[in-house]
Amino acid sequence: MKIFFKILKMLITFLFIGYTITVLYLLFFTPKEKRFNKAEHSQGIFLSQTIFSILKFQNPNNSDIYFEQSVPFNKRGDFAKGFLLLNKAVELEPEVHLGYRGWIKLRKLRDFENAMLDFNSLDSLTPNFVDAPWGEDIDFLRGECQFGIKNYEKAIDYFNRNIIENGEDSVEIQTFVYLGICEYELGNYRKAISEFKRALNQFESVPESYFGMAKAYRKLGELEESRINILKTEEHFAYKRDDIYNEFLNEIYISEIVEFKQLLNK
Amino acid sequence: MKNKLNLLLLISFLIAVFLTIWLFNQITSSVGDIAFNKELDKSTFKVCDEKRINQYYSVKSNYQNGKRGLKKDLWNSIESLTFKNSGYITFRFVINCNGETGRFRVKTVDSELKINYFNAEKIKTLQSFIENLEKWDVKKWNDRTFDSYFHLTFKVNNGKITDVF
Repeated sequence: MKIFFKILKMLITFLFIGYTITVLYLLFFTPKEKRFNKAEHSQGIFLSQTIFSILKFQNPNNSDIYFEQSVPFNKRGDFAKGFLLLNKAVELEPEVHLGYRGWIKLRKLRDFENAMLDFNSLDSLTPNFVDAPWGEDIDFLRGECQFGIKNYEKAIDYFNRNIIENGEDSVEIQTFVYLGICEYELGNYRKAISEFKRALNQFESVPESYFGMAKAYRKLGELEESRINILKTEEHFAYKRDDIYNEFLNEIYISEIVEFKQLLNK
Repeated sequence: MKNKLNLLLLISFLIAVFLTIWLFNQITSSVGDIAFNKELDKSTFKVCDEKRINQYYSVKSNYQNGKRGLKKDLWNSIESLTFKNSGYITFRFVINCNGETGRFRVKTVDSELKINYFNAEKIKTLQSFIENLEKWDVKKWNDRTFDSYFHLTFKVNNGKITDVF
């Protein structure tokens, strides 16, 4: 009986030690790519952050680790921590991370001037190459920055560059919408309408274009055309540009359309 | 020998227990979680499921009529607020499954995105404006509504709030 208990104790001890060693092995010694993928796919949880911290300790010059670790902080509004990590990623590999940092500054902070600086720095590092920060054309994003600053002429230049780079038929459709809004803001209402129509040539359901046209026609005193376009805005509203994470600079709302209709009927 | 084995069993057991508790905490806690703090939070505010407070983007919680509606309801109050510096004030809080808000926490950074401190009284005033908002929209999923974390960032430029997003 004594021997039985002794063996049982040894077995349990072995199990506890084995469990501890396995956990430590998984955290510290499995291939770094495997740990990185696990941490990346469980974004935000403390374990993911701990794995990134271990990886940083073991690979202090790997910029991707700093970048990935920054993501949940910036997504959840802790910009001091998020940017401390993201700035380190940019310092280590500017070509790889400048675009994302600019994108975050533009979309999450509306820091148009500093986003512009990041996009310009990236562009200067990659001559003869059109960058696509976070999957969006760099000139479209620079156009948005200039639009945010209300520098509409410069915004038009960048949006036009985007069209030349990507072609009229496949460029991001909102490029035309922004061009239309810029022309509208500059008081060029006819030109604005023709830019909004370019979006509709690519796809007929662009409510931002119809809304922009309704506003431009109203400015021109063509109220019937304005009414037609505001109804089309409502009809195609389900296709509006939106994103669950952030509000876009040119985002339209049903309440705006209702108010505009009331204005038209006055 | 017997004592050594007992000691080894005890130590290995304690390490395994500690590791399990640590792992449990690591798996169940997330960046940006806000636990109830009786010093800071109103006891009248209740979450519906303490173990499952989602991110706003996972359950699509928002303000009625989105950021436009939110700005409209906030703007008159915040327009007159002035600060001594520039930067960003971000409030993170919980929208419970009934569309009520609570557990407010604030993070502030300067224009260089480094930690910065704004006037505490003004931050309190700003928070009270958010607390007064009532049109929070919690989406139904399979006839259930969920608690979620939400954040609002105020951009302060030359002492004035210039944008909310």
